[in-house]
Amino acid sequence: MKTEKSPKEHLKAHAESAASVVAALKDSPLPVIYVGAATCGLAAGALETIAGFEEALKDNGIEAEIRKVGCLGHCYAEPLVIIQNPGFPSLLYQKIGAGEAGILVRSFLKDGSDPCYEYLIGALEADENFPTLMDYPRYLYENRVVMEHCGLIDPKEVDHYLAVGGYESLAAGLEKGGAWVLDEVKAANLRGRGGAGFPAGKKWEIARGVEASSKMVICNGDEGDPGAYMDRTLLESNPHQVLEGLALAALAIGADRALLYIRAEYPLAVKIMEAAIIQAEAKNLLGENILGSDFSLAVTVFQGSGAFVCGEETALIESLSGRRGMPKVRPPYPAVSGFAELPTIINNVKTLSTVPSIIKNGAEWFHGIGTAESPGTAIFSVVGEVEYPGLVEVPMGVTLEHLVVDVCGGIKNGKELKAVQIGGPSGGCLPASLMETEIDFDSLKSVGAMMGSGGLVVMNEDTCMVEVARYFTDFTQGESCGKCTFCRIGTRHLREILQSITVGEGEMSDLDDLAEISEAVVAGSLCSLGKTAPNPVITTLRFFRDEYVAHIEEKRCPARMCRTLTAFYIDLEACARGCDACVACCPTEAIFTTSNRKKAIDQEKCVKCGECVYACPPEYDAVRRVSPPELIPDQGVEPLPVKENEEGDA
Amino acid sequence: MLDRILATLDESEKAAIDEEELAVLKAVADELLSVPQESLQLLPALQMIQTKHGYLPRLALRMVAEHLAVTIGNVYGIATFYNQFRFNPPGRNPIKVCLGTACHVKGGEIILENFERRLGIKENETSEDREYSLERVACIGCCALAPAVVVGEKVEAYVTPSKVEGIITEIEVRKEMAAREQEKNED
Amino acid sequence: MSAEMVTITVDDKEITAPAGSYLLPVCLENDIYIPNLCYVEGMEKPPASCRLCLVEIEGVKGPQVSCRSEIFAGMVVKTNSEEILKLRQIAFRLLVSTNDGSCRTCISNRSCELQQIAKFLKQPLKTKRLRHIDRDYPELIDDHPYLVYEPKKCLLCGRCVHVCSTIEKGYKLSFAKRGMDTIVSFFGSELDPASVDCQDCFACTEVCPVGSLSSKEKWKAFIAGLDKK
Repeated sequence: MKTEKSPKEHLKAHAESAASVVAALKDSPLPVIYVGAATCGLAAGALETIAGFEEALKDNGIEAEIRKVGCLGHCYAEPLVIIQNPGFPSLLYQKIGAGEAGILVRSFLKDGSDPCYEYLIGALEADENFPTLMDYPRYLYENRVVMEHCGLIDPKEVDHYLAVGGYESLAAGLEKGGAWVLDEVKAANLRGRGGAGFPAGKKWEIARGVEASSKMVICNGDEGDPGAYMDRTLLESNPHQVLEGLALAALAIGADRALLYIRAEYPLAVKIMEAAIIQAEAKNLLGENILGSDFSLAVTVFQGSGAFVCGEETALIESLSGRRGMPKVRPPYPAVSGFAELPTIINNVKTLSTVPSIIKNGAEWFHGIGTAESPGTAIFSVVGEVEYPGLVEVPMGVTLEHLVVDVCGGIKNGKELKAVQIGGPSGGCLPASLMETEIDFDSLKSVGAMMGSGGLVVMNEDTCMVEVARYFTDFTQGESCGKCTFCRIGTRHLREILQSITVGEGEMSDLDDLAEISEAVVAGSLCSLGKTAPNPVITTLRFFRDEYVAHIEEKRCPARMCRTLTAFYIDLEACARGCDACVACCPTEAIFTTSNRKKAIDQEKCVKCGECVYACPPEYDAVRRVSPPELIPDQGVEPLPVKENEEGDA
Repeated sequence: MLDRILATLDESEKAAIDEEELAVLKAVADELLSVPQESLQLLPALQMIQTKHGYLPRLALRMVAEHLAVTIGNVYGIATFYNQFRFNPPGRNPIKVCLGTACHVKGGEIILENFERRLGIKENETSEDREYSLERVACIGCCALAPAVVVGEKVEAYVTPSKVEGIITEIEVRKEMAAREQEKNED
Repeated sequence: MSAEMVTITVDDKEITAPAGSYLLPVCLENDIYIPNLCYVEGMEKPPASCRLCLVEIEGVKGPQVSCRSEIFAGMVVKTNSEEILKLRQIAFRLLVSTNDGSCRTCISNRSCELQQIAKFLKQPLKTKRLRHIDRDYPELIDDHPYLVYEPKKCLLCGRCVHVCSTIEKGYKLSFAKRGMDTIVSFFGSELDPASVDCQDCFACTEVCPVGSLSSKEKWKAFIAGLDKK
């Protein structure tokens, strides 16, 4: 019901009660243990950690509260735990399994003396006795706008979001009107974080200008890039921020319906969002006459059924409509005629999550972050061979070098950086020589890559670029909806050619075919999946042509990754007599004892899994990997006669 | 509705439906009652069946078509378009090997092969005793813990070929212990 | 409401046509042939999936599908620029690379649109440059009461699915599966013979450009004739 009280007054009442709820938790006389329990935390064993805490608390007769929170993005340090022990600042711990949980309870909570520095990352607040998070480069260089509260608030409690100023932007928007919200977002030049970077404000303006009986806003959480998970993290860790952004977008275009389209592969995100909607509706932050205004918005969750192409706007709408998710020709654009032919805007989770901060702090503040053409921050999931993989939020315009080396700690194990794959299946592979490239929509495009969904895989000298191109092409051709000729058949040919090169059956003319087909698929495909699918091929051909040539002309994989072109052998000089470490690990029993009681590999049986490389004790380090396989030296290996072997075993 | 559909089948088709499948179909018939009868519910209805039962039995597609008054062709076209849907019952221990980018670079293929070898089934297959099923999935979003595998509901991080062995052994041991427990109770 | 008539230029030829109508049918009516496979006369919104009808439009970036390009006053179109010819040739080569190329034993030999397009584009029906991609389907699916389907000949243009959807009593043909595995499915046949609700109007076989979908009766007669030879 519309009321006399202003939205801000309505919100104030909520915020006050939320503040007291949160204050009670913060000033709790009992210790509070926050465990990061988003999908990645759970994978790293957060549930075992929680069980460990529960058991230790019980055994030691200590009362404490355990709270599941979202993801801080520091995946390398999972399971992450924050302990709020009265008398201490809140302390962040890393890699806390059930055992460490027990130690923390006994040493820190029971005796109160030892805060277990060995597991400590730092204190959340400034403190004399503890290093703070800002003492770490990872925290110092990051600029968390969208992920500010992720992992620090309880995603299942709307009060936690309200207590940090949540829904204030919505209240302000309701008072000043949709046109004002639109103007702010337009002035901020917020570009779509889903990949292409189309200005959100422009899209909204088109939809606002269309007269229609009903309009719709869709939050695109169909994150399908096989190496990116920031949308999931935002949905799981700060659901109300997404909802507030969604409501502001709806207000700006005059929509009365909103929908969250989330991959079915993200069951936890679906559950958390559904719960968040119910809580928000209960506080009149969504639903009828929001915060006493005349603006109403019905929000539902829809699960995507797993089709990468549904990240494409028109395909997403098809799938919502109960049809096969195949893209359609634009125009008409969804902003004019989308779901059920109503004006429909579709924005990525990150885009919508950015909106509340823009409304709160203003367009000018937003321009203070990032670059002139790409203001704001970028979130990357940095994975692969870096020291500190995880989710990183940095201002647009920082260089790749800065992101990989300074923020994420550089390459693991003292190896060399060879390339970064940025933007997932639509993106490209950039060589070490382009690490000075700035990260923004336009700079990345100019070197053949793409912001894409923000997946960033760091690769060292052991990664084969032909194989990486094959992998991505295999992915996109499998995800092609099959509608248009270029994408359906063109990407298949690309994959076939790449496949034959990686097994040493390529010809030099294949390189021309790759280039020609790639170009045609880019120019002729119907939708952006097809138009960008050849990017991994085009960029690797441009920057790593010598690797292609080595595969074709020398039947050699320089990274020694392509298994057909690689072989393993054991260096008898280095192998230690009587050591059996590799024998036990071999899944195909390919390793046998030689006549001088060392080990050798039966090449016929070997499946080249590389397990023996890791099993071999570092002090011997006797397993060698070569490409082409003919490089295995003749060491005059003879197996130990069977009879003697049996005696030896006995 | 189920009885009516069953009545249209000939004897050999009826014989092909085992008790387990019949139980699933009966459950689906009940569950569909809560689904609004509009074509927009097609995908949600299929998702509901997939989530609850792990696969879409052939006749369930017909039941969905009838319930929502859409053609069976429409239902089949949708069900075969999306990655989420399976048409055979999964194993009691469904194993999903992640082959997202990070897992691929870190040897996810090799992990998949190890499962294939260890279980004697190929990807997208279910073992004869229905104990295991194996499939590849594109990114479960645990990239920093690559290579990752989902066994049942549980995500296993940093999987190696020897850990594959460990995972299967653990399941076998649990099974063995449950069997003994049952024996003991029966005694 | 009748649309305003405007003048456009296609390959130096001036044409008058209603503004807002799609380019491809207008060109075809005016004897300017543009290869096409997925378009069916009278389609409200052509799917633009075969990508053969690409043209260049002055002032518009990149090649455009003529079947979905709306006509505007002063539009200047090129249907035969070097880039367009090359793209078309590649699209054609891609299409035939999945085709089994058994023209001599095909029911649509000599009436086949693919053969006509090959002639127009001066391209062979078997591409040497690209390897053949064998789609993992049987040669023949014949468990439909009135139709036979030869999947290896199918170009997935979707004309049959479209016309079937315009037939009054609900549609029965549909696409199934995805990507290279996409197939036109009778349903019914694979899932449940009892549900086949085909009106045996054969509209689908009439629009099939390549003889992948045929009337069972005609197909049987044709094969019998082949065997005699």
